[in-house]
Amino acid sequence: MQPTTIESSETTMSGIDPKLKPRLRRRSTFEYVAWVVCSLIGIGLLISVSTNPNFKWDVVLKYMTYETILRGLMLTIFLTLASMALGTLLGLALAVMRSSSIKPVAATAGAYITLFRGTPVLVQLIFWFNVSALYPNLSIGIPFTNIGTAIDMNALMAPITAALVGLTLNEAAYMAEIIRGGFSAVGKGQIEAADSLGMSGSMKMRKVIIPQAMPSIIPATGNQFIGMFKETSLVSVLGVAELLQSAQLIYARTYETIPLLIVASLWYLVMTLLLSYPQSKLEQKYSRATSRLPRKAKKVVLTDPEGIAR
Amino acid sequence: MSNDGTIHARAIRKSFGPKTVLKDIDLDIASGEICCIIGPSGSGKSTVLRCINGLEAVDSGVLKVNGEDFGYYETDTAYHALSPKKLAEQRTRVGMVFQQFNLFPNMTALENVMAGPVLVKGADKKASAKRAHELLASVGLAGFGDYYPAQLSGGQQQRVAIARSLAMDPEIMLFDEPTSALDPEKVGEVLMVMQDLAKKGMTMVVVTHEMGFAREVADTLIFMDDGYVVERGDAREVLRNPKEPRTQAFLEKVI
Repeated sequence: MQPTTIESSETTMSGIDPKLKPRLRRRSTFEYVAWVVCSLIGIGLLISVSTNPNFKWDVVLKYMTYETILRGLMLTIFLTLASMALGTLLGLALAVMRSSSIKPVAATAGAYITLFRGTPVLVQLIFWFNVSALYPNLSIGIPFTNIGTAIDMNALMAPITAALVGLTLNEAAYMAEIIRGGFSAVGKGQIEAADSLGMSGSMKMRKVIIPQAMPSIIPATGNQFIGMFKETSLVSVLGVAELLQSAQLIYARTYETIPLLIVASLWYLVMTLLLSYPQSKLEQKYSRATSRLPRKAKKVVLTDPEGIAR
Repeated sequence: MSNDGTIHARAIRKSFGPKTVLKDIDLDIASGEICCIIGPSGSGKSTVLRCINGLEAVDSGVLKVNGEDFGYYETDTAYHALSPKKLAEQRTRVGMVFQQFNLFPNMTALENVMAGPVLVKGADKKASAKRAHELLASVGLAGFGDYYPAQLSGGQQQRVAIARSLAMDPEIMLFDEPTSALDPEKVGEVLMVMQDLAKKGMTMVVVTHEMGFAREVADTLIFMDDGYVVERGDAREVLRNPKEPRTQAFLEKVI
């Protein structure tokens, strides 16, 4: 009988050295079925979308860069940026208030967050648009004196103002919870170390707590940003000519409803994809503290033998 | 008024909820004294340290650090809490080294050491950086300034933490089990730095399980159990010849 060694199989099984043979992944039957089914569905959809004349792709193409649409897009971008910026600032203030050890301050922030997270943003938008029914005149001044000024609420709460106020106040409530969550992720030992160095409350916040809370706040804020971009479509109910409302204005005239909704959707999609890039960059930046390479590694001047404890 | 690194405590009491962790603690630590506190876990030794640094407020009793009432000012009828600003000022004169190092992970080693002088005392950045480099060199970490804490070993992190506390020029240094979270082979490098510090005349209070350090470096030793100071005395004397049965039982187990 032949002694069965590893070497002997080399000669019996083709010419390839068995040590160099690739190892192949096992594919289940389900995988093949999934490929076939999904491909069929994909092809079917593609054929339907490209052959159905009602999609009117030429109309979609024509309106993609139509001036009204682009102006609407600009307004959508403005509303997103402005309400996110203001909402984050207000949210930060609310988060700091909510973490306060002074009861009334924490309770005020808590009540705000409950109220604005607990009601639909669409209702809030319509409410701010109609707030002049509640307070016809907004007067700013020092109580019990004549100093001050009154503003006509109806004029102040133009659709865009109402949209901005509504989105900002709503966003602030969500951002406050995100930021507070980030704060509580910072270890107790960090705060004690800062305390033992004699750091003041605001110094601790700026130099120790916020920088360390960032890695958990940033990705969530990115999601909020993308969500906000789509949420702005709600303000179309106030008659603000943002992206969706601009599309609606056109199809109200031309009855090309679906093509214009596709135009708006494509723009929302493009912007969402563009926004996810800076988000991943920011995430990288804030994960630096745990990266393995020293920052400015080249600037290190070695005056003594490295790290030798005497 | 003396501000030369003394700690005096009389009848300090501290409770967390229903649990009393410190029961009438008296302490007298002279300037330049190296005092080790030993005892089983839960005996209140870390709490004593945290009270001296103001991380915990004592419930009652007299606590004078650097010759001043710590965290409070005395009137005829009561002790009133100091403003956060004044408390912070007192804290800058007491350095604290933690078991878990607690370096700021968002700052490099150099920035950690500079944090106190620059952010709290408003010192000049350049001068502070120079001083920080010197301090890092003095703990054997020259050239490690640009590393983040995550890139350093436990022993290196703890040495940075010591340098960070020293940067504030404190009169007193407190060590809360500084080597308990370290690999056994990294313990020596931290103890060596502490020994150097002791030679320079710093007042040090060290909560530790390192009996060797206590024997070689400490002047006095305090044994705590269940919130009481059970025994105190000359470090070598207590370790060699403990008087209280509770101390004897404890030392038998750890040595």
